[in-house]
Amino acid sequence: MTPGRSVPNPGPGETDGQETPTAPWHRVHPVSPLVRGWIAVVAIAFVYGQNTLSSFFGEEEPNPGPDFISGTPLMVSLLVGAGILLLILLGFFGTWWFTKYQITDRHVNVNTGMVFRQQRQARIDRVQSIDIAQPLVARIFGLAELRFDVADSGSAAMNLAFVKLSEAHQLRNEILARAAGLKTPAPPAPPLPAQTDAVTVAGQPPDPTAPQEAAVQAPAPGYASVSASLAASERVVAVVPTGRLIGSILLRPSTILMVLGIIGLGIAMSAIEGFAPFYLLPAFLGMAGALWNNLNTGYNFKAATSADGLRLGYGLLDTRHQTVPPGRVQAIKVTAPFFWRPLGWYRVAVNVAGIGGGAANDAEQRSVLLPVGSYEDVLAVLSVVLPAPGVAAPRDFFAAAINGSGTEGGFVVSPPRVRPLSPLAYKRQGYALTDTALVARNGALHRTIAIVPHARTQGLRLSQGPLARRFGVVDLSLATIAGPVVPLVHQLDVASGRELFLEQADRAAAARRQTDSNHWLGDA
Amino acid sequence: MRQEPIDPAGIQWTRVSPSYAKVRMVGWAIGALITLLVLSVPLVLVLTGVWDGFPLWLAIAAPAVLLAVEITRLVLIPRQVAAIGYAEREDDLLVRHGLMFQKVLVVPYGRMQFVDVAVGPIDRMLGLCKVKLHTAAADATAEIPGLPVAEGTRLREQLAARGESRLAGL
Repeated sequence: MTPGRSVPNPGPGETDGQETPTAPWHRVHPVSPLVRGWIAVVAIAFVYGQNTLSSFFGEEEPNPGPDFISGTPLMVSLLVGAGILLLILLGFFGTWWFTKYQITDRHVNVNTGMVFRQQRQARIDRVQSIDIAQPLVARIFGLAELRFDVADSGSAAMNLAFVKLSEAHQLRNEILARAAGLKTPAPPAPPLPAQTDAVTVAGQPPDPTAPQEAAVQAPAPGYASVSASLAASERVVAVVPTGRLIGSILLRPSTILMVLGIIGLGIAMSAIEGFAPFYLLPAFLGMAGALWNNLNTGYNFKAATSADGLRLGYGLLDTRHQTVPPGRVQAIKVTAPFFWRPLGWYRVAVNVAGIGGGAANDAEQRSVLLPVGSYEDVLAVLSVVLPAPGVAAPRDFFAAAINGSGTEGGFVVSPPRVRPLSPLAYKRQGYALTDTALVARNGALHRTIAIVPHARTQGLRLSQGPLARRFGVVDLSLATIAGPVVPLVHQLDVASGRELFLEQADRAAAARRQTDSNHWLGDA
Repeated sequence: MRQEPIDPAGIQWTRVSPSYAKVRMVGWAIGALITLLVLSVPLVLVLTGVWDGFPLWLAIAAPAVLLAVEITRLVLIPRQVAAIGYAEREDDLLVRHGLMFQKVLVVPYGRMQFVDVAVGPIDRMLGLCKVKLHTAAADATAEIPGLPVAEGTRLREQLAARGESRLAGL
C-alpha cells in the first residue's frame, strides 16, 4: 500500500524479471548542485571574504575573529578560503555522482546519498502528478526539475533536480505513456480527448495556436511516437490574463484582510507617542511579499487538456508545468469570494493525493486548477477533471450550484428552522446529486461548492452537537484525502441526512465497482 | 424539539465491551488528578499564608468547579462507552460514537489502507484491544476501542480479507 517505498537492494536491471533487462541508468545534469546550492556558496564566500578583507584593510576590526586569521598573511587566508570552496565543490560532485535514476517499464528507480545511501523504487502506474519546475536560476541554465508524486502525502517519490528542459519533457511524456498502460513500443495513436468532453463549452474551440511542447522533444527510441502524439494532443482550455490576475489578487479576502490589518495597526500605533510611518515598513514588506508570491505563481496561467491528463503551466520568474493524469482528482472546489462576484470570477482547486496536503509550502499553489477565471473557464476546466458530470444540462446545473439558492438545480437545502443558526446561508447550504458525483454547496457571501465523485468517496461522517440536536439538523462530511477541498453538507434535516448517509455509501460502493483503474489508456 | 437519533435506520449495532469503561475511568482518574493538583496550588499557597494577596474564594472555586465537571464526566463514561458501536455491512464498516456530540462514520472496505490493533496496559489487564482502520483520508479513520481481544483479531482478519476482495486503490 505504500507506493514510494524503499527497496533493500534492487540492483540495476534486476528489479523485475519482466522488464527491459538493460534499462540504462542516468545522472542529473552536472551543474545541478550548484544551481541548488549557489545561495549557500555566495553567502559563505561573502561572509568569509568580508571577514578576511576587513581584517587586512579595515581601520578597525568590525568582527575581531580568532587570532589565526588576523595574524596570518593574506596568502594563507586565501588558501584556507580556496580549501573551503574546494570541499564544497567536492561535496557537490559527490552528491551528483551518487544520484542516479532509471526508468523501466513499470518502475522509476532513484539512488541517492553519499554516506547514507538510499535506493527508491516507485511504481509508475501509481503516479498522481508530474511537475516540471524551473526556478529562475535553473531557467538561466536551461535546466528543469522533474517531480514525480505518488499518493504518499509527503515529499515527492522522485525529484530530479536538475535535467535539461528537453530531457525533462521527454521523461515526463515517457513516464506518462508507460503509466497510461502503453506497454508496447509503438501502438496506434491514442484517441484524442476532445470528443470525450461531456461538458460542451461554447466559444472554446480547440486552439490551433496552442504552444506545442512536443516541439522541444528529442526523439527517444520506442516511445517517441507515443510521446509525440500524447504531447501533440494538447488543447488549451483556459488562460488567465495578467490584468485579471492582478485584479483578483487585490480583491482576495486575504489581501483585504491584510490591508485592514495594516490600517488597524497604523491607527493603534499612532496612539503611541513617537510613532513614525516608518515602523509599518515590515508589515508593508510582508504584504508586498505575499502579493508578489501570488503574482509570481499565477502569472501566465494556462490550463490545457491532453490525452495524458490536465496540464497546467504558470509562473513569472519561476515557472512550473504540472500534469495531473485522468482519474487522479479526488475532489473539486469552486469558490466565488465576495469581492469577485460583481466581476464574475471564480477559482477552482482540487485534492490530488501527494500534492494537496503535507507541510510543503507549495502544496496550496500546486492544487489550484484555475487561480481566477470566468464561468466559461470554470466549465472548461470542470469538463476535463469531471468528464462525466452526470447531469443533463451541466451549464445550468453548475450555475445553480455556484450562484443559485433554494432547491433549483435539484438541491436539497437546510430546513428553514435553522435560520437563527445560519441567517444568510440557510437557503444555500445543501447538496445535490448527479449520476456521478455529490455537489455540496455552502456560503452566502463567500460562496463555495465542493464536488466529490461517487467513485472517489473515502468515507462519510455524520455528526451532531447539542445545538444542532435542538434544531433537528446534522452535518454530513465527505471524507477525502488531504487538500484544500473539505466537502461538508452543513445543517441537513436529520431524516434526510440519515437517508442520504446510507444511500451515498451504497452509491459510492456501486461506483467503485465500475471504475477504478490506475491505467487510463491501455488494457491494464 | 425533536430528539431523534442520527443513526441510519435498520442497522444492528454491535456494542463494545462494557469493561472498556474501566479503561476510560483510569485515563480519567489520571487526567483529573493532575489538573486538580495544579488548580489546587493557589489554595494551598493561600492557606499556608505564602500568597496572601490571592482571593480565597477564587482559590476555592477553581478546584471546586473542576471537581464538579470531572465528576460529571465520570458519571457519563459508562453511557459514553455504551454509545460506541459498530456494524459490518456488505461493502462498508459503520462506527458510531458519542452522546452529546454524536458521530456516525462509514468507511468502505475497499478504501482501507491498513488496520491497526493497539493494546494499552489497562487494555491488556482487561483483555481488550482497539482496532483502527486507516484510509487515505485522515478524517475517515474508523476507531473501535474496547473490543475483546478475540473479537478484535477476528475483526482485523475480516477487514483485511474484505479490503483485499474489494480493493479499490485510492
